[in-house]
Amino acid sequence: MEESQVVNKDSSKWEPRIIAFLCNWCSYAGADLAGIGRLQYPPNVRIIRVPCSGRINPYFVFKSLQQGVDGVLVSGCHPGDCHYISGNLVARRRFAVLKRILEFAGVEKGRVQFTWISAAEGERFSQVIKEVTEEVGALGPNKRFVKEN
Amino acid sequence: MKEKIIKKEQIGSWLEGLGKDYEIWAPVKKKGLVHFHHIESTKEIHFDFLNSKKTPKDLFFPQSEVLFSFAKEEVETTPQKARIIFAIRPCDAKSLALLDQVFDSEDYQDPYYVQRREGTLLLGMACTHPQRSCFCTSVKGGPFEKAHLDLLMADLGDGRYFVEALTERGEDLMEKDDSLQDPQKEERGKLAKVKEEAEKKVKSKLAMEGLEKKLDEIFDSSFWDRVHQKCLGCGICTYLCSTCHCFALLDEKDKCGVQRVRSWDSCMFPEFTLEASGHNPRISNRERMRQRVMHKFNYFVKRYGETACVGCGRCIQNCPVNMDIREIIEEIENERPLPS
Amino acid sequence: MQECEKELRKVAEKLLAEKKVDLIIGYEEGSLPIRTRPVFIQETGETSRLVWNSRCESNLCSYLKTIKGRVGIVAKGCDIRSIVGLVKEKQIKREDVFIIAVPCAGIIDRKKIEDILDGRELLEGVENDSQILLKGEGFEEKVDKDKLVHASCKSCGHRNPVLYDTLIGKEISQPEIGECSDLEEFASKPGDERWAYLNSEAAECIRCYACRNVCPACYCPQCFVDQSLPTWFGRTPHPSDSLIFHMIRTLHTAGRCVDCGACSRVCPMNIELRMLNKKAEKDVKELYHYEAGINLEELPPMATFKMDDPQEFIK
Repeated sequence: MEESQVVNKDSSKWEPRIIAFLCNWCSYAGADLAGIGRLQYPPNVRIIRVPCSGRINPYFVFKSLQQGVDGVLVSGCHPGDCHYISGNLVARRRFAVLKRILEFAGVEKGRVQFTWISAAEGERFSQVIKEVTEEVGALGPNKRFVKEN
Repeated sequence: MKEKIIKKEQIGSWLEGLGKDYEIWAPVKKKGLVHFHHIESTKEIHFDFLNSKKTPKDLFFPQSEVLFSFAKEEVETTPQKARIIFAIRPCDAKSLALLDQVFDSEDYQDPYYVQRREGTLLLGMACTHPQRSCFCTSVKGGPFEKAHLDLLMADLGDGRYFVEALTERGEDLMEKDDSLQDPQKEERGKLAKVKEEAEKKVKSKLAMEGLEKKLDEIFDSSFWDRVHQKCLGCGICTYLCSTCHCFALLDEKDKCGVQRVRSWDSCMFPEFTLEASGHNPRISNRERMRQRVMHKFNYFVKRYGETACVGCGRCIQNCPVNMDIREIIEEIENERPLPS
Repeated sequence: MQECEKELRKVAEKLLAEKKVDLIIGYEEGSLPIRTRPVFIQETGETSRLVWNSRCESNLCSYLKTIKGRVGIVAKGCDIRSIVGLVKEKQIKREDVFIIAVPCAGIIDRKKIEDILDGRELLEGVENDSQILLKGEGFEEKVDKDKLVHASCKSCGHRNPVLYDTLIGKEISQPEIGECSDLEEFASKPGDERWAYLNSEAAECIRCYACRNVCPACYCPQCFVDQSLPTWFGRTPHPSDSLIFHMIRTLHTAGRCVDCGACSRVCPMNIELRMLNKKAEKDVKELYHYEAGINLEELPPMATFKMDDPQEFIK
């Protein structure tokens, strides 16, 4: 993996690299709306589209951290609005236990974050990305689970 | 060959002298368990142990090793320094000779294994306290067995050790220290007595005669239905066995590039024989247990003329459900082959 | 305890004779001092091999995953909760298991005995109601059994069976169990320290999977670590991969683990990662008011949901 190259920034300075797992129907559409509206948000995020937040497996989060990603954002529809009715509701329980175990193990608070963003919340999406980027940036590069050879 | 006596308190300085030319690996107690570790100071050595938890095979055939890798940047490899393994037991030394049959044969020499093997001297420590689970004498070994070692030390019980060189390289190690004294007749007598007492302590005696043939006869017997029942199918017996040597080749990608890794594998795992088609010839634990026993006491014997077991007893001590290979062998000896 | 053993053998003999079960899974004496081991009995007359004492470790319920026909199983309080879990998750049918409940005040931890022996070989162990006598070459030591009891047993809140077909002996007293103090102490340490501890434990892991195989809750036909399409995590004992294996196994057993302690007992490397399981157990109790294996009616917490589930962790 190369060091992240960020446009218009001093490329020798470390910038956090964040993976965002967005559900297709709400959060990804919200991100799309932000794009259409030309809303500015930090380019540190890499989006991976999934059909539903219920598709998110803890493996994705662990593997991302192991590969050296600095922060993980998982986002889905608001409870009650899931395209598949209850995907995000089952996921909510999974995320709660996952987050607590990660923090218990010593993964810094704020490295892995969860949010509900609807298709209409383009403004909110850009705001969330700004906040997450700042928070992860403040934590520094991720060393947890990373294999140093 | 050369024989000497050394006092226990002199062993540290002797090894420190040798440490200038060799990396010293010795038994160290960590978290309540004894393993062979590379030591920086001889104070770390733990003398009072029955046998190590993990076998020293890891030092020649590591649980995981990178065979080669490719990346964008050059990856430097550091050359291996010559090593001495201090206080290796005769059974574990014998297991290396069995592994040599596989990794250093006429047809094929594994460069990774061979480089380590040639660069390592085995400074053995005789077993004055064989455990109840040891059965080395039933598989052509013994607590004071000299084969496959460069040097054998034996605790005489009076704060001194009898040291005997068994190879030229072993003799070289003894040349390097003046604190080693020549043994007298009295010491040789003590050694013989300690050896006799140790051999008496190996209480487990197995009838190994005709085992290979018996196994051929009972291959399809319902005996195997009973034997495997309580086995969990984990890898403890395999990974803690001195002679088990099956491995998997894996390609792993990480920040530094791609690596081909050789990693231990166990025939007790279901995926060991899982084929790409989805077919698994050893579909259940029954076949896998049978395979384990056949490999050690039949296939290896057919191929290399020796039993792939040195009687160290680690499988018996560590099996979570107390599977006991001695009982299995006894049952096989008594089993009348059933019609298939 | 001896009385219980006699009664157990009688009950087992009767069950086999009346053909109420095809097989009895219980414990017998092992081939090494103080070891017991699982035994599978199908013939009447063999039930004299059955034993019941403070050394009957191992959760026998892991065998229920693959057994066919009707099985009688000798089960302690924790084992029975495992059975409840397996029935609830439709891995076994309730009518296929005949639960022979045994009252259990705690099983000794062999690792504690090994610490006491400190490298000396144990040649014989003799136990009575309160103590165990350890004998070896040149030594004889009496140890109180309650000093040797496994950590899972110390925090056991279900010594008596929640469900059974027959009870051997009588129900025993159940002390009040408070919060797990080990967990609280660990949780109060700084994150870096917790990370360092868990990594150092995971570094000892040799990936033998004994912990997974002995666990009754782990019954996936193919475990995630064995998947190769895709390969999620490495199979080598790199501390990063090993820790991830253990953490994900904790997540997979969250709300299902009954803390029988079998995983920590079988580990050959003396790794202590129960802290992760205790944490998940506490969280599930706190978040969803659920304790594993108590009754057959409650739905498994991680397979269901409520509209008003807590979500203060959501940004």
